[in-house]
Amino acid sequence: MTLLTRRAAFAAGTAMLAVPSLARAQGAPIRLGTLTPLTGAGGPYGPVMANCVRAVIAEVNAAGGVLGRQVQLVSEDDQTNPEAGVRAARKLIDVDRVAAIMGTWASSVTTAVAPLCWESRTFLATVSGADSITALPHNGWLVRTQPNTTLQGRKFGEYVLELGAKRAFFMAPQTPFTQSQFTNMKVALERGGGSADLLIYDANKPSLRTEVDQALRARPEVIVLGGYTPDSTVLLRDIFRAGFRGKLLAFAYSVNQQMIGSLPHEVTEGIYTLAPSPAEGSGGFDRVKRIVGSDNPDPYTCQIYDHVNLVLMAMAAGRDGTGQAIRDSIRRVSQGGGERVDNAVDGLRIVAAGGKVDYDGASGPCDFTDAGDISDCRFRYEQVRAGRQTLLRIA
Amino acid sequence: MPEALIQALINGVIAGTILAVPALGFTAIFAVLNYPNFAIGALATVGAYAGWVGNTAFGLPMAAALPVAFVAAALAGLAVQWMAVKPLEAAGALMMAIASLAAGLVLENMLRFGFGNELRGFDLPLLRDWRFGAFRVGPQQVENFVLALACMALLWAFLRFSRTGRAMRAVADNRDLALLRGVDPVRVAAVTVAVGAGLAGMGGMLVGLDTSVDPLVGTRLVLSIFAAAVLGGLGSIPGAVAGAIAIGVAEEVAVLAFNPAYRLVVGFVAILAVLTLRPAGLFGTRAG
Repeated sequence: MTLLTRRAAFAAGTAMLAVPSLARAQGAPIRLGTLTPLTGAGGPYGPVMANCVRAVIAEVNAAGGVLGRQVQLVSEDDQTNPEAGVRAARKLIDVDRVAAIMGTWASSVTTAVAPLCWESRTFLATVSGADSITALPHNGWLVRTQPNTTLQGRKFGEYVLELGAKRAFFMAPQTPFTQSQFTNMKVALERGGGSADLLIYDANKPSLRTEVDQALRARPEVIVLGGYTPDSTVLLRDIFRAGFRGKLLAFAYSVNQQMIGSLPHEVTEGIYTLAPSPAEGSGGFDRVKRIVGSDNPDPYTCQIYDHVNLVLMAMAAGRDGTGQAIRDSIRRVSQGGGERVDNAVDGLRIVAAGGKVDYDGASGPCDFTDAGDISDCRFRYEQVRAGRQTLLRIA
Repeated sequence: MPEALIQALINGVIAGTILAVPALGFTAIFAVLNYPNFAIGALATVGAYAGWVGNTAFGLPMAAALPVAFVAAALAGLAVQWMAVKPLEAAGALMMAIASLAAGLVLENMLRFGFGNELRGFDLPLLRDWRFGAFRVGPQQVENFVLALACMALLWAFLRFSRTGRAMRAVADNRDLALLRGVDPVRVAAVTVAVGAGLAGMGGMLVGLDTSVDPLVGTRLVLSIFAAAVLGGLGSIPGAVAGAIAIGVAEEVAVLAFNPAYRLVVGFVAILAVLTLRPAGLFGTRAG
């Protein structure tokens, strides 16, 4: 029996320890995170969004994963609150070491989380609309699938004019998008000979009677609601009580079916809503319908479906399961020609065979500018009629 | 502008009267047990949901749903007291306050598990306001105002005339002397917590009636409740009422004076001013 020298034993031991760790690294799963609002004002959307991502990842894993590795999903709750969002993002980045965070919803949360992402080389895909988000110095670590508020504000202003009104009053809580939404709405209105005023209220106040009195003193023809569902509910009740007979215009994410169900019909009847429109009739949209089991999936679930597909394909195109690969390769799979795909399973097969893909998703074509904004979007115009959101047109 | 000011005063007095109900609960618990119970927001939410279930599932009118809100919140308050706060009694008031804060978070999330995040509306017609010249007041506001006054009148009668109420006042006034006189401290503590939490529950329901019910309906009130109790003097029953009305009026009038987004400043400024100028509060007799 040969005695091992200490040096040989150390070398052998190190090699034995290293081999399985090398083997583990080869097959270690890729981790991705969702940071959606499971509670708070965005609570109606976040759980469905996270489930949609889970379903897409399950399909991809069943088809062999990405770069031969399985994908693991970690879902966290941002509580529609920047402070909670930062804590959850820290956990995703520092503990779970995810390559990408997807689905941040409220602009305030995205604004708070974005710097953590680019500092840690974690890719961020968001559905938030505030102009200021893509103006951050993110250096390519962020894309969003929601149209920015410059565009949304302009659409609101133009729609007010189209409703035959000149004087609009914008009531909203303090958010990163409130000012730019109002400014752009006002510019559009003034171009058409109209005018607009603004009142920013506290979203946690149980009654907004005095704020409504302030608004009515301006004698508006249209009141535009810029808040989320809980505060807009309080506001709509007080607008109704005050006897306002003009028109109401709101974001479809706040005056949604849940709010319509919780308020008496006469309060919500006739409210006009605007929302970025998903790509109805597209292959991606049909897939989201199947995943969520609804004929009318919300725009944010459609958008996060696109996030996860793009992230998975970008890692494959970049030959690495990291945030850096996603950042460097996302535009190689989202735009610029190639075989059209609407899901990652098909896209990964083509990329693995050396092909080029151009993804068209459930929310739209998903072509991004250098700043990370989408370059094209349609809007959904709806009105509450007989207690239901009724589609007027998509344009 | 005087019309706007008078309207804001009307709105403020009504809002403050409703705020006074949970503020009374908060201050009663502080007076007898000597710690600020920050689960008060979650307890208000428990009451709001209980009243909502009573109204929508069992068809109870508002006056009958209020006792349901009281009982449910009282039971939840006792559970918080026995399971979270009491085991930490020896560690002092700060630990008890933190325990109540944590228990409030647990309660809030239990409600979220049970009822989801959806907004729930009471089965009530929404009526347009009555107009008196340039001023307006809502029928629901008036009903809530009357119900809040009735709650306060009942509390006053309970503290003034019942044996248990007198024992509570005795413990609040001088604990050692009350114990010497044979008052049962465990029983008084339990009744105080039940009454305080029950009041919070009724307050939560009154706010829910005017708005809608969701898992954060009570939590949104916590700062205003705390500010009202501090302003009036922690532990002072008339102080809580005066403090709540003052905070209610200040929050509404502030809307006219500066950007409404800074409403929270009103609560904080009130707390800061009281702690700086008169730590015992408007009606309090002891500092802290």
